[in-house]
Amino acid sequence: MVRYWCTLALLLIGAVLFGACAGHTWVTPADVLNAAMGDTSMQAMLLREWRLPRVVAALLVGALLGLGGAIFQGVFRNPLAEPYLLGSAGGAALGATIALLVPLSLSQAFALPLFAFLGAWGATLLVIGVARTAGALDVPTLLLSGVAISAVLGALRSFLMLALSDETVSLQVVLSWVLGGMQTPTWGGVGILAALTLVSLFACIALAPGLDRLGLGETMATAYGMDVHRFVMLAVLVAAATVAISVSVGGLVGFVGLAAPHIARWHLGPLHRVVIPASAAIGAILVTVADAIARSALPPAEIPLGLVTAVAGGPFFLLLLARSRKW
Amino acid sequence: MVTLKAQEIVVRLQARTLLHGASFTACSGESIAIIGPNGAGKSTLLKSLAGLLRPASGSTTYDDAPISSMTAAGRASVIGYVPQHFNPHWDIQVTDLMQISLERSRASVQRGTLDAALRTHDIEPLRDRWWSTLSGGERNRVLLAMVLATAPPVLLADEPAANLDPRCRLEMVERLSAYGRTALSIVVMHDIDLAFRYFDRILLLNDGRIVADGATAEVYDAPILEDVFGVSFIRSQHENVKTIHPGNVAPTR
Repeated sequence: MVRYWCTLALLLIGAVLFGACAGHTWVTPADVLNAAMGDTSMQAMLLREWRLPRVVAALLVGALLGLGGAIFQGVFRNPLAEPYLLGSAGGAALGATIALLVPLSLSQAFALPLFAFLGAWGATLLVIGVARTAGALDVPTLLLSGVAISAVLGALRSFLMLALSDETVSLQVVLSWVLGGMQTPTWGGVGILAALTLVSLFACIALAPGLDRLGLGETMATAYGMDVHRFVMLAVLVAAATVAISVSVGGLVGFVGLAAPHIARWHLGPLHRVVIPASAAIGAILVTVADAIARSALPPAEIPLGLVTAVAGGPFFLLLLARSRKW
Repeated sequence: MVTLKAQEIVVRLQARTLLHGASFTACSGESIAIIGPNGAGKSTLLKSLAGLLRPASGSTTYDDAPISSMTAAGRASVIGYVPQHFNPHWDIQVTDLMQISLERSRASVQRGTLDAALRTHDIEPLRDRWWSTLSGGERNRVLLAMVLATAPPVLLADEPAANLDPRCRLEMVERLSAYGRTALSIVVMHDIDLAFRYFDRILLLNDGRIVADGATAEVYDAPILEDVFGVSFIRSQHENVKTIHPGNVAPTR
């Protein structure tokens, strides 16, 4: 157990170092260290102002996705559950499309994360509201509402893209965001993101005992003194906020939120009190490495992050799946 | 000493009435078997006693406090419920199951408490086993240990032993009824013979009504058993053990 956490920590440090070195132009770890120590050369300034905040942002986005995925899988007790299950992907994409295509008086650096967050969070609230009106806040109703709302939001976004695009507005910017466009935030932005991630981490860990209880089944959880519907709603709200924060900076990054909790469970068992922090760490490692690849594989172009995670992660996940005996 | 009292419990599911006003009173030190044909309302009665099902009317009181007005956690601390089917969603180790179960009554569980609970409930040798590797008998022992880990004053069990081999089944039923020596144990029994052998009191349900409620010896001889189950029963006695087994299907009247 202790060894596992140490390994995770080492991998995380390695991933950050790799991310800091990788890019259009590769640098050595010594350069990174110099830049971090406040060296004033051009290269160090560029590293400090552009690459390092991006690396930290990727790490935080990955941690958030790992958290969101672990909560959703715990709530829905379904190994296929992923962070974008309850409409947040569709909502975020719609929000981002509006921010990117509708001429607003806000600066795009501000509008894009804000609208993506509002879209993701709002869509999940809508799903919960619909499920509640439709009858019950139980798992099948929530899932079905999620599917229906996602379809509606997807259609809306397609309509917006068709209606708003012309020669002056390129759809490529929207498409590349939807496929996982990491933003490069300022250090101030990174600070806010880090604070929000920390809050999410603690909120998710606080849900862990409840998720463990829910894992015994709804009847047992109720008999053990849990208000299942209330807990499910609370957990979904926390997870949706977590995912919405990640989406606002990282765009839609597929697969990480699905895989990270599984990888955590393979080694640590199903108890959420250990799976949740481990899943956050694994998500952080995955996205940091994937973002480094996205930035450095085809210079000077950048591959959308979501494509990297899917292409690299899919086969890797299948391999692990084939080798694991449990789950 | 606690008292569980069911008053005129009516449970409806859509247009169907599953329970038509069930009433009885039970105290610590009693072991009660609920018997009756399929669909008589046995599990429904048990679930409404446990507060897992909200009755359309009537109430269950625990020491004069209606359980519907208790908090979920408060209810869980006094009533232990053993479901008929239990399967955790994730494959999980026995020690973790016990840990989750102990957390019902305390926020953090010390290692010593966990070890003691595993020993008290005779599942120490199973502690590191994964749920998927347990046999049916072992699973039921673990399930019972989980529910009894916090020593609830009331045990409500939906006979979890129905598909076990004879030895495991006897052991399980013995444990369930023995819990009623100090606490209150109410068990839905599918095996009528074991119900009469191990329990002090019998509640006989038919069509959502309690049609007989009495000491085991009284109900054992009552002709209403034949009426309710629609079979003839063969009652016999070997040494001190009274047995009762279905004979032939009774002609429908």
